Amino acid sequence: MHYPEPIAKLIDSFMKLPGIGPKTAVRLAFFVIDMKEDDVLEFGKSLVNVKRKLVYCSACQNISDRDPCYICDDSSRDPSTICVVQEPKDVIAIEKMKDYNGLYHVLHGSISPVDGIGPEDIKVTELIQRLEDERVKEIILATNPTIEGEATAMYISRLVKPIGIKATRIAHGLPVGGDLEYADEVTLSKALEGRREL
Amino acid sequence: MILESITVSNFRNYNNASINLSDSVNVFLGENAQGKTNLLEAIYVLAMAKSHRTPNDKELIKWDENYAKIEGRIIKKNGIIPLELTISKKGKKASVNHLEQKKLSQYVGTCNVVMFAPEDLNLVKGSPSYRRRFIDMEIGQIQPVYMHTLNQYQKVLQQRNALLKELAKQKIKQLTMLDILTEQMIDLAAEVVFRRFRFIHLLKEWALSIHSSITRGLETLDIRYQSSVPHVLEDMDLSKIKAEYENTFERIREREIERGVSLFGPHRDDLKFFVNERDVQTYGSQGQQRTTALSLKLAEIELINSEVGEYPLLLLDDVLSELDDYRQTHLLHTFKEKVQTFVTTTNIDGIDHEMIQQAASFNVNQGQILEPCD
Repeated sequence: MHYPEPIAKLIDSFMKLPGIGPKTAVRLAFFVIDMKEDDVLEFGKSLVNVKRKLVYCSACQNISDRDPCYICDDSSRDPSTICVVQEPKDVIAIEKMKDYNGLYHVLHGSISPVDGIGPEDIKVTELIQRLEDERVKEIILATNPTIEGEATAMYISRLVKPIGIKATRIAHGLPVGGDLEYADEVTLSKALEGRREL
Repeated sequence: MILESITVSNFRNYNNASINLSDSVNVFLGENAQGKTNLLEAIYVLAMAKSHRTPNDKELIKWDENYAKIEGRIIKKNGIIPLELTISKKGKKASVNHLEQKKLSQYVGTCNVVMFAPEDLNLVKGSPSYRRRFIDMEIGQIQPVYMHTLNQYQKVLQQRNALLKELAKQKIKQLTMLDILTEQMIDLAAEVVFRRFRFIHLLKEWALSIHSSITRGLETLDIRYQSSVPHVLEDMDLSKIKAEYENTFERIREREIERGVSLFGPHRDDLKFFVNERDVQTYGSQGQQRTTALSLKLAEIELINSEVGEYPLLLLDDVLSELDDYRQTHLLHTFKEKVQTFVTTTNIDGIDHEMIQQAASFNVNQGQILEPCD
């Protein structure tokens, strides 16, 4: 089947999205033909804007629509702690908790020599620059509990300690509200390792 | 545990075969290429849900058929358990007591087996990687957490090697990162080595006495874990092993950067076997090497019994004829009462007569099994 060029191009564009195969792309493209022109214009504008108007916050490196972002700009937040995470998604996860009132720093990745990612490829230098602010007393390392996340946390703590700032690492172990019997062996053994006196 | 009966359908060269087994020694007798080893393999697959010969499950299905099926009845201390394993081109389905198991890991372990085949000579003769795999598989069966630690270790090792390679080319200067990866690696390496030491200690207790009785006390076996990092010894605790690792890595740092690869670690360790103080791999005769491998496998039987509380099934593929009379008789007698044994052989003449007379022997001929001819 030979599609008219505008449709063929649209189908091609849809297929660049994750989870969209050729059939879904065709369905979506034909749906767009029947949409109201206003809606289509709005859609197109949103697509362009997400690329053009979204910026990285010059302080925390998180994605934002303005610089500095609304978290860094919020004077009610405590500037003495910075929570270091790997991805913007992680900020959203911690914000959901509504219990953390400090600032963030997004690294955009973790150090992994196998993938050719060194410390200079993630936003570590930017973090160290932020520590010149004397109000910072503690950084919380909330990178993932993987080998790479752990190495990244250790790396940052080595850089931070000489400056005289406290570096802490989030705990790992059993999920809250779960049954002990459902935990896998590795998590259980980690939880046992990190036990504390009551 | 005892395998009371086994039924195979569309498995390798078998259409459909069903036999009742003796609870002591079972001999599968037949010419070459008749299906003796296939029968042992079927028992192995029933227990482990994978073959010892091939990683490709499709090979197990009879030519031109869609699925293969193995059923068995296991008698354990706490009752009879029917096991069923179906292998199709899509995958495997396993059930215990007619209940399908969602995870194969829940199925494996219901029935334990120890196999001794001619390839096992590699345990002594082969490269160190055979011996490391043997240790790792065995500890993994007893302690699931070990596999995780080993896996983490291998990941750190990869990262560290990648970094060292870059450092060697002098492309980058990231000595802090090297220190961190070294620290991570030492933590995991020490744990791997510590658990390996404990396992070897247990295995040794059994293997030494077994070896001595197989050889009428003429040979004394010794097993030593050879750490690539010097001064790491068997009776050390975790923190001492760590300290030795730290010393060594400090010392070889420049050399590692120059060479661009991790020079020491559990991935370079080895097991050494000594008979009467001589290294068996280098100076042992073919027979001594075989006896050493056999002692290790038999020690595994005792180890499983002490961990699981029941003896595994013993599968001997074509190895009896390679042992001298005394060793054969001893082997079969030691385990006659305790362990259900399955033996394949082409010729009954080479085997201890008294034993064979008591054993149930099955004639295997072109995928047909004839019941005991006693």
